[in-house]
Amino acid sequence: MSTSKFLIANKFDAAFSALVASRIAFALFGLSNTLKHDQLLSTPLSSYTQLREGIFLLRNGVDPYSGGTFRHSPLLLALFSVILPESRTYASLVWTIFDLVGAWALVSTWRARQNVQKTSRDKVVAASYLLNPYVFLPTLALSSSSLQSSLILLSVKYAAEGRASPSLLFLSVLLHIDLSTLVLLLPILLLLISDPHSHLASPRPFSANIRRILPLFGEFILYTTILSTASTIIVGGTQWIPQTWGATLTLPDLTPNTGLWWYFFTEMFDHFRPFFLMVFSVHLLIYVVPMCIKFQYDPLYAIFLLLGVLGTFKAYPTLSDPGLFFSVLSIFPEVHPYLRHPIVTALIHLHAALLMPLFNHLWLNTGTGNANFFYASTLVFACGNGAGLIDAVWAGLRIAIGKETEGYVVVQE
Amino acid sequence: MKLTLGWFLLFSTLFNNGYGWSSEIFSESLKIAPLPDGRVSTTFSFNTVLEGALPRDPRSLTSQDASQHYVLFPLTLGQILREYAVTELHLSLNAGNWNYERWGYPEEKGVGTGAELLAWMGVEGSESVDDRWKGLRNALAGLFCASLGSLDEQRTTSPDRAFFPQGMLPDWSGNVTHQLRHASLPSEHVCTENLTPFLKLLPCKSLSGISSLLNPHRVFDADWHGMGVHVSWLGAAGVQVRLTFQSVMDPLRYSRNTSRNWSLRSLFGHGIERNCPAASSSVIEVTLPDSEHPSLTPQPQTSSGSKATYDVLTAEKTLDVAMQWQDGFQYPSILNNSLPVSVTRTLRGFTQASGKLSLVLKNRRSTPQELIYLETMPWFIQFYLHTLQTRIDGHLRDDIVSHMSYNAAVAHSRPTTFQAELRLPPNSVTQLTLDVDKAFLRYTEHPPDAQRGWDLPPAVLIPLNPADPINSNNSHTYNEYRLGEPIYTSTLLVDVATPDFSMPYNVIIFTCSLVAFIFGSVFNLLTRKFVVLHLDANQQNN
Repeated sequence: MSTSKFLIANKFDAAFSALVASRIAFALFGLSNTLKHDQLLSTPLSSYTQLREGIFLLRNGVDPYSGGTFRHSPLLLALFSVILPESRTYASLVWTIFDLVGAWALVSTWRARQNVQKTSRDKVVAASYLLNPYVFLPTLALSSSSLQSSLILLSVKYAAEGRASPSLLFLSVLLHIDLSTLVLLLPILLLLISDPHSHLASPRPFSANIRRILPLFGEFILYTTILSTASTIIVGGTQWIPQTWGATLTLPDLTPNTGLWWYFFTEMFDHFRPFFLMVFSVHLLIYVVPMCIKFQYDPLYAIFLLLGVLGTFKAYPTLSDPGLFFSVLSIFPEVHPYLRHPIVTALIHLHAALLMPLFNHLWLNTGTGNANFFYASTLVFACGNGAGLIDAVWAGLRIAIGKETEGYVVVQE
Repeated sequence: MKLTLGWFLLFSTLFNNGYGWSSEIFSESLKIAPLPDGRVSTTFSFNTVLEGALPRDPRSLTSQDASQHYVLFPLTLGQILREYAVTELHLSLNAGNWNYERWGYPEEKGVGTGAELLAWMGVEGSESVDDRWKGLRNALAGLFCASLGSLDEQRTTSPDRAFFPQGMLPDWSGNVTHQLRHASLPSEHVCTENLTPFLKLLPCKSLSGISSLLNPHRVFDADWHGMGVHVSWLGAAGVQVRLTFQSVMDPLRYSRNTSRNWSLRSLFGHGIERNCPAASSSVIEVTLPDSEHPSLTPQPQTSSGSKATYDVLTAEKTLDVAMQWQDGFQYPSILNNSLPVSVTRTLRGFTQASGKLSLVLKNRRSTPQELIYLETMPWFIQFYLHTLQTRIDGHLRDDIVSHMSYNAAVAHSRPTTFQAELRLPPNSVTQLTLDVDKAFLRYTEHPPDAQRGWDLPPAVLIPLNPADPINSNNSHTYNEYRLGEPIYTSTLLVDVATPDFSMPYNVIIFTCSLVAFIFGSVFNLLTRKFVVLHLDANQQNN
């Protein structure tokens, strides 16, 4: 037994080292210069060029939030103006480290869910994150969405391990980087007061005392207040709020991305714009409470589903947002047999992943396609994400019924 | 006719005395200069001075203004200036690109392509400068039939290091400071509908005097033409309104052989038939070239050095000044001009998402040249200042650009203003490059014919010359430098990505359907219970 455990551990270390080595090799290929302008990999809210510009402006005594296109959080500005990777090689390494931390957090979450120290599946989980092209391409483009994915995974990892303070701290940092991660707050709080183990097959009413959420929520508010105050002090005013949080709500920059918002609001009639901005923002929040109620016995699964919602519907998504959703799917092996159409979802994704860069290039670079081509491919991509999300909801519920037996059929009433 | 006007002038002078203005003086002049490339530059200048007048105090905007009675001063323009309490105003409407390389400096320095409006206004008072600026540009748009109304906040900047008032700024005994507003619209086309209201502001319209030469058929056929309105306060001397019209005409184009002979008749269609009775002086000044000696007919009244002048008021009518060259025109191989630097600005890059702005400056002199560089860009061109690179003869240098000031654009509202000081080494070629992003516009923000692209305003370079302690009274100084004449670069055309303009309904329908489908499916799964049904062959048939 101990030898097999040792073997597993050794195997995992070897596999993990191989993955790390391959990722570092990719990082050193110097693809970042070619990929940094790719609109699928970084948005105006997460691009490395904008970050460099903000730091340059800050160093030259210009307020980066006085206007312009700098929309990163002041926390990132402060962080990177201290450890700024000036050279791209160094930056690529830092970004690869973000991914490694994310993979480690995902593996830790998996172990916490299984309540074991090491499993034979660890390397599959790590590989699902490190070798997911949706995750590592944004990293090569030095998009801050990689950092965001890692922080989400860290926050979930600490929540799964029941360590409230680091989890809530990471969540409140996340809130500063991207406002839409607010939807993860409720399931993470529920996860903190319950347990991360899989109860999908045996649903039960929420057992923990719901009142225990309140002090945790207070702690989250405290961290958020502290970080907001710190941001205000760093910038010397509150002008960062409309530039960062405001941008996710009002969509001032209509640069194409993989999401649904940009073309919708490019083509929107001016007098309907505020209404639909409100609808799209509120639409993200609508899923939170129903998911948390339905999956009250397994908040980790609710987090997973809400990641799928974010990847499909958030304001400025990159490929790493749906990528995170599909990587996290690897820690729920129990639902895999109950997925209804994984092949269809995978093929839709293959289709969209090939068409999106192609149509983006045809429209903007060669001028032989137009905006509709790229819009259509993002619609297909959203269909793929939606199919994955719906299938995950189905499988998460269906598993409770168990295997079908001859002569019986499982349906919804 | 002459007599009645004389009486009228007398009465009005007496009448105006009651309102504190002693008199109005109108003078007109025409400067004609042959250019090295065979073309002829003509500059009309119509100058009206309202003696002893003071621009309106912005604090008095709430109270009733004094009645305005003018004889020679253009009333419609005067009303606009008083209504919005404008101290100094420069409006120029130009068609074409002034070729500094061939033509040297222009007589009137505001030669940026399209419309450019500059105004200084007092800050104090109930109405804000921006409100008055909005009123001013709309009023001027109506007055000159130009699209100045679109010089909105998306185009307005305050580049206070590059532009300085020509006249003086009063403080109305109360420490009123002034603010500058500047906007340019490079896509504005200047044509006869702008000239007609311009001529209406002149006391003699285009009926007599020098202004009778402003024949739209000829001046709009010129290689380059532009008009300007310049209002400034000269201190005790009063308020001056200077209306200018510049054109560059090409006699070679009209001649069968290579002769660059010109006359007023060949340039403007006719000579001057009669005087403008309102003009106190009316002068035609012809610049004579240094090397060759063409003959002038009729004989100029005064001729000193390189200038020959005709006094139109006393000259014999019909006055038709003509210049005759002895030999045919040979295009010069080298064009010498007094320009300190030559500038080329381009926007490079093939994608519709980003590009590279490049500025190439040539300093031909053997002394270093300092310049102020002003770049104003609409918000959809977004600068990445950290990518600013300077190369001298191909080698990276970081000591060329200094004293940068940057006012970043705000999406959908404010333009970028970038000002910096450049120091060009002697006999060098300096290249500045800057990465820019081209933003994606809402479909309602695109102009008609969106695929044509957007014109970007010209950059302005102001040479800084070492201050001359003796002659520094009349010019503005900047850090112990004297500001030279501005050099406008050519405008740029940027290709911005366009959405499909026929798609709004389709996009709303497609996206909303997809969102509704996913939303519906998810909630369908979440709200309905799973049940296990027994499959009975008999029951299923029912």
